[in-house]
Amino acid sequence: MRTPRAAYPLTWRVMDGLERIAAALWPASFQRGLPYLMLMPAVVLVGLLVLGLFQIGDTSLRTLDTNTFLMSEDYTLANYRRVLTENFFATVAGRSLMGAVIVTAVTLLFAFPYAYLMVRTSSPALRKFLLVALFLPFFIGQVVRAYGWLIILGNQGMVNEALGLVGVPPMRLLYNYPAVLFGLVQYMLPFAVLMLAPALTAIPGELEAAAASLGAGWVRTFRHVVLPLSRPGLIGAGLVVVTLSLTDFAIPAILGGGTQDFIANAIYDQFFRTSDQGLGATLSLMLVAVGSIVVGLVFLLFGAGTLAMAEARK
Amino acid sequence: MTDSTSKTVVLWLFVAAALVTLSAPTIVVLGASFTAGNIITFPPDGLSLKWYGAIAQASDLRQAFLRSLIVAAICTAVAIPVGTLAGIALAKYRVRFARSIQIYLLLPFTIPLIGSGIGMMLVFGEMGVLGRLWPVGIACCVINLPFMIWAVTASASNLSPDLELAAANCGAPPLQRFLYITLPAVLPGVITGSLLMFILALNEFLVSLLLVDARSVTLPVQIYNSIRSIITPDLAAISVVFIACAGLAIALLDRLVGLDIFLKSK
Repeated sequence: MRTPRAAYPLTWRVMDGLERIAAALWPASFQRGLPYLMLMPAVVLVGLLVLGLFQIGDTSLRTLDTNTFLMSEDYTLANYRRVLTENFFATVAGRSLMGAVIVTAVTLLFAFPYAYLMVRTSSPALRKFLLVALFLPFFIGQVVRAYGWLIILGNQGMVNEALGLVGVPPMRLLYNYPAVLFGLVQYMLPFAVLMLAPALTAIPGELEAAAASLGAGWVRTFRHVVLPLSRPGLIGAGLVVVTLSLTDFAIPAILGGGTQDFIANAIYDQFFRTSDQGLGATLSLMLVAVGSIVVGLVFLLFGAGTLAMAEARK
Repeated sequence: MTDSTSKTVVLWLFVAAALVTLSAPTIVVLGASFTAGNIITFPPDGLSLKWYGAIAQASDLRQAFLRSLIVAAICTAVAIPVGTLAGIALAKYRVRFARSIQIYLLLPFTIPLIGSGIGMMLVFGEMGVLGRLWPVGIACCVINLPFMIWAVTASASNLSPDLELAAANCGAPPLQRFLYITLPAVLPGVITGSLLMFILALNEFLVSLLLVDARSVTLPVQIYNSIRSIITPDLAAISVVFIACAGLAIALLDRLVGLDIFLKSK
């Protein structure tokens, strides 16, 4: 005689078993702890970074003994004194900071129309084209992109060869500050557009139509309606671009050719050229501090903008 | 209407400039890889596929590419469970200290990449595992984890909590609710996130540069090291591999979830 249980499919049995195991491992009374358990792996993984920061802090307090090439056992603040007093580091920091500000301004100037057109266009084909044109360089990586610029801008590069055809002598287009800034803008454009686009989507098109019907030209509509409402996107995009370009390594290294070092390049050189880990760690820590202060100030003053991860819950 | 015409002209001027800047390196690398000459010249010396033949022979490039693939696979394999769980937890539950946890989980973005890289280099160095591939994969996962969490929270917040309550009302126990309701709902986010993680890890340069040694260079580091000496077309040909991977990732993303997902306001 068949029992009713025979009609019970195997997958149900497996699921029941799994449910029982799950219930035994994590009883319902722990229910409130569940989200914390789910967050745990991510917290541990990011903890690696925190651990790394402590390591950097520890290393930054030791100086390099130039006789034995070992790090000193006891802690001193000598590295910090060197970083703050030596002109070389001030030059590099100034160059990076000014570069980051210029790059951010230029990137936002070009990213905003791009994002606006992408969001507002009525043609799905154009939207897709703009998205693909954005993602392709984003997904290709910095080194390959910088390599492309070397081919275009090099002394025997495309631009100079083309200029040569019409009789213009070759110009030095690479290994200078504008080349680095240009490369950084190109690197940052996809980030900025992707941060801006959701904020622009959130602005109802009817608002612009309303402004226009009240007689505002597009410049006024843009200035008084679109721009103020896209603030969260501008904050998010600006923040990402400032921090990423301030701390970039590959573009200054490849397009600057060693003459236009940014902070990251100086740190790398301390670790791998002069092997002064202490000084390199000090520079890293100060860069982290400057970056965190900038981000923290912006968060405090303006909120997280489009960077927030869970604000969407209604 | 002159007003809207001037708007279109201004808009397109900026967009055209941005499009040229964005696409120029890709197009040029593609073009240079097909040159028949031994150096890259403009106009090119004719067309050939010989540089693709050359990179197919070069075992160091092939191995570097294989290493990059392994790193990207490790990164994605770790990021999927970790990011999905964290994303669901942040979007669906009322978590205490949610703001602080969010800021903490954004640390990979707010700490400069060189800082994260150096820090992890010191940590992994202390553990004595530098020069292996899995620390590079883990490191790539850590620095890009916010992308994964983002993608998942974005799709999880579209999931109505009523659906889960309804399932519970029909007698579905917790695990079943998670597997049959929650997980399918966040799947677009998981796909987006994991594709992003994979492609970003495949291309990751700085963290790789800090964590690899001479025996374990990944492809971007290999290209960087060769760039410094002389620009030859074989580098262009190997770069095309990255362009192909990027194209594939975009096609997949468009097919599976649609690129428009990045335009949605949260």
